[in-house]
Amino acid sequence: MEVANDIKDKFTELGVDIPVEQIEDRLNKLITKFKVPQDEARRSVVNYFLKEYDIDRSRFYSGQSSTTLVSIADINEDGQWVNVKAKVVQLWDNSHESISQVGLVGDETGTVKFTKWSRDDLPDVEEGKTYLFNNVVVHEWNGKFAINLNKTSSIEVLDEDLNVGNIPTGDPLSTSMATVEEMNEDGKWANIKAKVVQLWDNSHESISQVGLVGDETGTIKFNKWLRDDLLDVEEGKTYLFNNVVVHEWNGKFAINLNKTSSIEALDEDIEVGTTTVTFTGAMVDVQAGSGLIKRCPECNRALTKGACMEHGKVDGVYDLRIKAVLDDGVTAQDAIIKRDISQELVGMTLDEAVSLAADALDQGVVLERMRSMLIGKYYTIEGSRLDRYILVDSIDQISELNMALVDELIRDTEVV
Amino acid sequence: MAVYIREVAQRIFAQEFRESDLSFKDGDDVYSPHYLLTPTGAKVNRIFIVGTLIEKEDIGTDSEYWKGRVSDPTGSFFIYAGQYQPEAAQVLAECETPAFVAIVGKPSTYTTADGSVLTSVRPESIHIVDGETRDIWVADTAERTLDRISALDDEDSNVVKAKEHYGTDRAYYSSMALDALRSLKDEI
Repeated sequence: MEVANDIKDKFTELGVDIPVEQIEDRLNKLITKFKVPQDEARRSVVNYFLKEYDIDRSRFYSGQSSTTLVSIADINEDGQWVNVKAKVVQLWDNSHESISQVGLVGDETGTVKFTKWSRDDLPDVEEGKTYLFNNVVVHEWNGKFAINLNKTSSIEVLDEDLNVGNIPTGDPLSTSMATVEEMNEDGKWANIKAKVVQLWDNSHESISQVGLVGDETGTIKFNKWLRDDLLDVEEGKTYLFNNVVVHEWNGKFAINLNKTSSIEALDEDIEVGTTTVTFTGAMVDVQAGSGLIKRCPECNRALTKGACMEHGKVDGVYDLRIKAVLDDGVTAQDAIIKRDISQELVGMTLDEAVSLAADALDQGVVLERMRSMLIGKYYTIEGSRLDRYILVDSIDQISELNMALVDELIRDTEVV
Repeated sequence: MAVYIREVAQRIFAQEFRESDLSFKDGDDVYSPHYLLTPTGAKVNRIFIVGTLIEKEDIGTDSEYWKGRVSDPTGSFFIYAGQYQPEAAQVLAECETPAFVAIVGKPSTYTTADGSVLTSVRPESIHIVDGETRDIWVADTAERTLDRISALDDEDSNVVKAKEHYGTDRAYYSSMALDALRSLKDEI
C-alpha cells in the first residue's frame, strides 16, 4: 500500500524504523472496517506512531493560517482576530499618551470603536477615508465590542468610499395561510383558520378577548385588543383570522390580532389537534423523569421525591416510561413513551426494572440502561400530539440505510 | 410559565464544521445562547454527530480531560470532555478506539494568537452505536446540507450573514455532500 510506504519513509527520515505491515494493519482497520477516509486514517496512524515513539508532532507537520476579512456586524467575539475594511467616521481626543489615535470606524453593517497605540508605530488615519485594517483584535468591554490594533497590524488606504450605515432591517409582510403548527416564529404574519377552543377571563382592561384557538395541527393562545374593534368570537366556532402576528414570550408562541386583522366566521367545524402524527429523527436525549418512576395511587401523577403535588407523601406505584427527544435536524420533538411500549423497546419488563434497581440500590440504573440503548439511533414514532409532546403509540428503529434515498440525493445533486 | 425551547441538533459534516469561524451570541445578557454560523447558513447551538472515534487522549493535568477525534467521510471533529461532562468523559475513558460513536454536543470555538479559529465539540452525551447508524447519519447529514445549500438564495438573515462572511461556494459544499453520499455506495 502506497500510503503505508509513504508513512514508513517519513518515519525512517526521523530515524525510526517501523515494519510496514504494522502500518498497513492499522490503516486497513480504520479504512475498511471503520469507514474512515484515507487521509484521516493516514493522519491517525501517523499520530499513533508519533506517540508510540515519542516524537514531537511539529517535526512531522508545520502549518500556517491567516485572518479573514469580516464586516463590522460580524465582530462579536472577544479575542477574535480579523481584517476589517472600514471608513474612519470620527476621531476622538486622546485621553492617554499611550494611545496614538482613537475613534469610530464603520462599514455598511455598523460602526465600532478602534484604538491605535503609540508603541506600535502605525500610520495615522484620517476622518472620512476608507482603510483596510489587517490583523486587528476584537476586544469586549461591558458588552460592547471594539477593535485594537497591534504591532502585527497593518493599515492600507483604499481609494473608495464606504457607505456607513446600520444593519438593514425590515420584513416584508406577506400573509399567506398557515397552520397553527407553523405559527412558530416571532414576528411572522399569517392568516389562519382555527376553532376557538377556550375563552379565558380577561386579565386586563385593554384586552377584548383572550383564549385558545386550534386546528388539526395543534392549539395556540390568541389575544384580541379592545382598541382594534374586531368581531367577538365564540367558543366552539371556527373562524378565519386574517393578518395576525406571532408573538413569542418565554419560548411560547401566541398570536396577536391587530388593527389590520380581520375575523370571518366560517360555517364549518374542524377537529382540533388529535390527529395521528409521525416523526422520524435521531434520539438525542432521554430526559430525567424517564426510567423507573413512582406514581400516586390516587391521581396517577408522577411523584417527585416520593411526594405527589396533590396528595403529599404517598406509597407510590412503580411505572416505567421514557421522556425522549427526537431530532431530525430541523425540529427537536419531545415524546412520551408509556410503559408497554417502553418495555418492548428496551426489552425489560417493569418487574425486571424493579429488581435491577433493587440490586443496584439505585433506580437511576434503569435510566442509564435506556440511555445507552437508545440515544444516537434513529427512530420513527407515531402518536398523537399533546401540547409540545407526541404521546407515542408505536416506535420503530430505523436500522438500515435507505439506499433509494441515497440514490435520489445523488441524482438530484448531480443534475444541478 | 417559562418554557424553554430546546435547540435543534444540527447536522454538519466535519469539513464544513472545521471551516466555520463565525460565532456570536443571540442577545446581550450572560444567559443568551451562543451560536456558530456555518458556511451553508446553519445556526448551530447543538450538533449531532455519528462517526468513528479514531483517537482519544487524556490531556488533563489535575483532573481527567479527554480529547477525542471523530472522523466522518469528509474529515474529523475534535471533542473535549472534562469534569463538567462526566458521562461523556467516562465513555471516552472506558471505550476502545476505533469505535462508532453518536455524539450530541455544543459547538465551541477557540481563536489562536494568529487569528485562526479552531472549532470543537463539547459533548453532552456519547454513545457507542453500530455501523448502520453511522451510514444513516451520513445520508441524513448530506440531505440536510444539500437542503441548506438550496436555501442559500433565501432572504433569511442567517443565510445572508453566512454568504457575506464566507462567500459560500455552493459547488464546493455540494460536491462534499455528494462525495459523502457516494462513499456509502462504495461500501457495498
